[in-house]
Amino acid sequence: MSDNILARAGKMHGDKIECREKYKAQLEIKTHRDYVLNLLTWLKSERYVHLSFMSCIDWIEENEFELVWHVFSYESKNHILVKTRLNREKPWMHTAINIWPHVQPYEQEIHEMFGVYFPGNPDLSGLFLHNWLDLPPLRKDFIAKDYSLALYTTDALGLTPPFDDIDIVEITAEESRDGE
Amino acid sequence: MSLGERSFFVPFSTLANLFKKPETIAYPKEDLDVHGVKGPSLKYRGMHANDHDVCIGCGNCSTVCPTAAINMISTGVNDAELTGANAQRPTVDYGRCCFCAFCVDACPSGSLTMTREYIFTRASEKESPLEELIWKCDEFTLEPGSRWSENPGWQCHGEETWLDLERSHMEHMTPEKRVGSFIEFVLGFTKEEALREAARCIECGICTKTCPANMGIPEYIRGIYDNDLEESVRVMYETNPLPGICGRICTHKCESVCAISHKGEPVAIRWLKRYAIDALGPDKVAEIASSAKEMFSPSGKKVAIIGAGPAGLSAAYYLSTMGHGVTVFERMPKAGGTMRYGIPAYRLPDESIDNDVRAMAEMGVDFRMKTRVGTDVSFESLRKDYDAVLVAVGFPMGRSTRIENHDHPDTGLAILLLNQIRLGEEIPVHENIVIIGGGNVAMDIARSMARLQKVKYGKVSIILTCLEGEGEMPADNEEIEESIEEGIIINPGWAPKAIELDDDGKIKGLKCARCLRVFDENRRFNPKIDEDDLTFYPGTQVVEAIGQASDYTFLSEDDLAAMGHERGRFKVSDGMDSGLKGVFIAGDIVHGPDVIHAVADGHKAARSIDTLFNQG
Amino acid sequence: MYLPDGYTTLDKISENDDYAVYDLFFGPNHPGMHGNFGYVLDMVGTEILRVRPNAGQLHRGFEKAMENKLWAQNLSLIPRVCVPDPDPNEVAYCQAVEAILGVEIPRRARYIRSIVLEMSRLGSFLMGMGGVGGALGHYSTMYLMMIDRDLILDLFEALTGGRVYHIYNIPGGVRRDIPDGWTDKLLELCDRLESKLPEWDRLLYENPVVQDRLGGLGYISAEEAMSSGITGPSLRACGVKADVRIDTPYAAYDEIEINSKLSEGGDALARAVQVRLDFEEAVNIIRRLVKQLPDGDYKLDLGNISKLRVPKGDAYSKVEASKGEFGYYVVSDGGLKPYRVSVRGPSMPAGMYLCHKHLRGMKIDDVAVWMASFAICPPDIDR
Ligand code: SF4
Ligand code: SF4
Ligand code: SF4
Repeated sequence: MSDNILARAGKMHGDKIECREKYKAQLEIKTHRDYVLNLLTWLKSERYVHLSFMSCIDWIEENEFELVWHVFSYESKNHILVKTRLNREKPWMHTAINIWPHVQPYEQEIHEMFGVYFPGNPDLSGLFLHNWLDLPPLRKDFIAKDYSLALYTTDALGLTPPFDDIDIVEITAEESRDGE
Repeated sequence: MSLGERSFFVPFSTLANLFKKPETIAYPKEDLDVHGVKGPSLKYRGMHANDHDVCIGCGNCSTVCPTAAINMISTGVNDAELTGANAQRPTVDYGRCCFCAFCVDACPSGSLTMTREYIFTRASEKESPLEELIWKCDEFTLEPGSRWSENPGWQCHGEETWLDLERSHMEHMTPEKRVGSFIEFVLGFTKEEALREAARCIECGICTKTCPANMGIPEYIRGIYDNDLEESVRVMYETNPLPGICGRICTHKCESVCAISHKGEPVAIRWLKRYAIDALGPDKVAEIASSAKEMFSPSGKKVAIIGAGPAGLSAAYYLSTMGHGVTVFERMPKAGGTMRYGIPAYRLPDESIDNDVRAMAEMGVDFRMKTRVGTDVSFESLRKDYDAVLVAVGFPMGRSTRIENHDHPDTGLAILLLNQIRLGEEIPVHENIVIIGGGNVAMDIARSMARLQKVKYGKVSIILTCLEGEGEMPADNEEIEESIEEGIIINPGWAPKAIELDDDGKIKGLKCARCLRVFDENRRFNPKIDEDDLTFYPGTQVVEAIGQASDYTFLSEDDLAAMGHERGRFKVSDGMDSGLKGVFIAGDIVHGPDVIHAVADGHKAARSIDTLFNQG
Repeated sequence: MYLPDGYTTLDKISENDDYAVYDLFFGPNHPGMHGNFGYVLDMVGTEILRVRPNAGQLHRGFEKAMENKLWAQNLSLIPRVCVPDPDPNEVAYCQAVEAILGVEIPRRARYIRSIVLEMSRLGSFLMGMGGVGGALGHYSTMYLMMIDRDLILDLFEALTGGRVYHIYNIPGGVRRDIPDGWTDKLLELCDRLESKLPEWDRLLYENPVVQDRLGGLGYISAEEAMSSGITGPSLRACGVKADVRIDTPYAAYDEIEINSKLSEGGDALARAVQVRLDFEEAVNIIRRLVKQLPDGDYKLDLGNISKLRVPKGDAYSKVEASKGEFGYYVVSDGGLKPYRVSVRGPSMPAGMYLCHKHLRGMKIDDVAVWMASFAICPPDIDR
């Protein structure tokens, strides 16, 4: 069922992309941010009509975000991971809603969870988090434990201990990590 | 699909259900009976039960619990007194537990199980809120002393476990090949094998307590697992300055209590240590070893150590890291003591000893070889010239059974023969040999003689006999198995009676009587012999390997008495100090022959000497 | 109008001479809503003008939590991503881990996984079909189907020790072998489920009320469904032969015959019928799996699983769940914990995107039915 998509992609897009076969029927194409939409449009015209979903990875050590579009063809049965890297300081990506309109909530989610900005997406309002003021939570520098230790203290919640004789031991983030 | 005929009346066929027996039941008055027994299935993951007598307190359940529901709480027993277990037991907080049973699958002792008990939603049984709270706490934590164990649900036997029960493969030479030479035959782990083996450890620390030197075993195994060998070796040097040697020949008491040994084979702690040292290379190891010295400035104190065996070397290392000047006196040409002149090279090659000793020489320890205390330099002068003296002379001499004809020229003492082999001297090797003794030294001499026989005669013909019965022999199991593989015949449970001679005065064999038991009820050495049940082992050479003795000729009677000498051994305090001021004792002469004990003694002695200096 | 304390009127959004628009929160308190999810509907009378999905009420931060747990520990979280159909999650995650590790699991383990997946599918379909009935007010259907679902859960309990969250798969295979006599019980159950189909046909599919309520509701064309991420039975209901089990075979599906029948029409009725067809086929698939079940190991020895280290790499693994494609994109940096786990749930495209198109102009009574027909299940939107 192979459609030689990698060979054709290589011919078509030349050095703009970097592709390889990862596993059986699972391919990977890496490209530059500004080329992603061209590539996705081309893939869709090659009957890769199913955009499964989008994911984002925070490569904090390299100071980059990686966006992954998962596209699939019902004809060749190949699954392609289209990947691009964004600078972590000012992450933004062209929206793909003109190719696949249902990418809108995925982009909205990535915006909320990583802080990647998608100019052109009509709705980047908060989706899951309510009254969120901290860092986008799926970033690696957001430490969930510190967050809850800071938030869920009796003081921060405005609670006073109900009984005087109960010792409430508050653990600081450092202590709790030491204990691990 | 073509939908059936569209009819307004068909749905009313449901009314037929009105006349059927209801499918629901009124729990808890009745219970389901779908699994052959009333209630949940036989594998149900309900509340936990833990057999506290079997539980070893390793804490692995707590480590793998994904919801952090398990806390380890102290049982109040003094942890250091327990062997093979930690003094803690798990409690489960059902406010967190998600009933995944990972803890059960990861429990190495098999004590933790899940039961078919569960809490269902029901009204509170208590009137006052306080009682209610107590009731809930009780219901929602599993205290030590398990409930419900008579209603077992999810269990984990053997192979389902998360643990890796089998040792990683380690390449050995075949018995045929190895018996032909004195080359080391255990080839050591490759990196993959070592990583896999290191991953088997669950980092419970139970082994640490059993190790005489209290080595940080889980920590250095973790270093290997994280591929941080430098860290691993650094941890080793904290408690053992002879890791390369111990990684080969340690009696590995730790492995006998390893948590994994309850269900499978213990972690190959010894081979992992060897792997870390070998893989890092001697230069790097020596660098790490001497880096400990940088923390202290020189104290100006001097210590004399008599004997460059494991205890002496260990003390020398730690004393010099503490900034003291150390001089080691050794009668043999090279350092190592029994390790070099007793243990055969196929178990412990010279380079390993050299590498470990080299680290010490680089730290400035002064080795005076071929210097016998008593003849070349007197004990009194040492006491005068040095601030402290450590006696770590070990057991360089053999003991004899003193049976009839034990002094025939064709007999020998194992320890002396081994010594000669190591020195490269030619020793007599007959075609048929009988060996008396069941310890590791007996195995060493048997296997050494086997190698010599193989070279000389092309075949192995050795009979080994000892007092202890099968399964009681003091030698390590591996040693026994490997000896048998190499063609040595082992006949345990016989007491030697006499060495019989033929008409020409040549040895013709060993007469033995059946030994019924070795120790009496009080665990005292008191063999019981059946004089009627006799046997005869033919052979023209007999080697005795029944024990070792020391040589205290350099000490005066008064000194010996002051130092608490009794039947070849010394009784010392925890600080290894003898009755004589400034004189310390360590090693085999205190604790019997064992390298790792000697290393531990050396370390202890070094600490007490340091304390002595600091006191003034 | 009298209102008791604490009650509020609907927010009025705008008003003109002809009509006023009110905001209606169609959320977890609505009996037709499947869990903790909500739509904010702008209503004119009973007609919907605009819809704003209100997710996040079930968000548990699983993707973040999985980065902080060991590879195997995550399996206690993963089934919770989809409550009625948990096993596809476990399998997808394990398959992704196995792909990065580069290991092939034993054949028997693959079969057991397939059996478990099909059982989970049956249970979820019963809940789905019952859910359609429930949304229409046909509660007897729902109750009757729950009985049968419980029988499936009994078998799960006997196999895995758990009824709802089975936590049965681990990287390398499954945690326990099939107990003696279990497959016989499974085959008996298959017979019972099959014998129930005529009753459900009578109750649901031949029922004129159901046919009229579902017919034409939420129509989507094949081309549009394919390019808006619709998968599973909803896509097959448009006449597209798409099934992960056939397209990208995993577990034992490359050795098993799957004769999916397709319904056509692309509306809610077609989707409901497709579920029923798939249900029937799943029963047959279980029979084939049991018949071909090979002997051998049920798991691969990967060493001490709590110290499993997965090499650097990433893999996407997908599974055909009852609602569509469930996928796990797993990234490893070579450590003891995943670097990133990204979950593709089947409910997102319909629940978060198609709702804007489909709900506009719809009557409020149809919202729950529309959701049930697309099997929109909030836990996989809110991971
Ligand atoms: S894992 Fe088992 S043996 Fe270890 S502490 Fe827990 S219950 Fe005890
Ligand atoms: S069953 Fe799972 S969640 Fe509960 S205590 Fe054991 S490991 Fe923890
Ligand atoms: S080696 Fe064995 S006893 Fe020691 S920490 Fe590891 S598992 Fe525990």
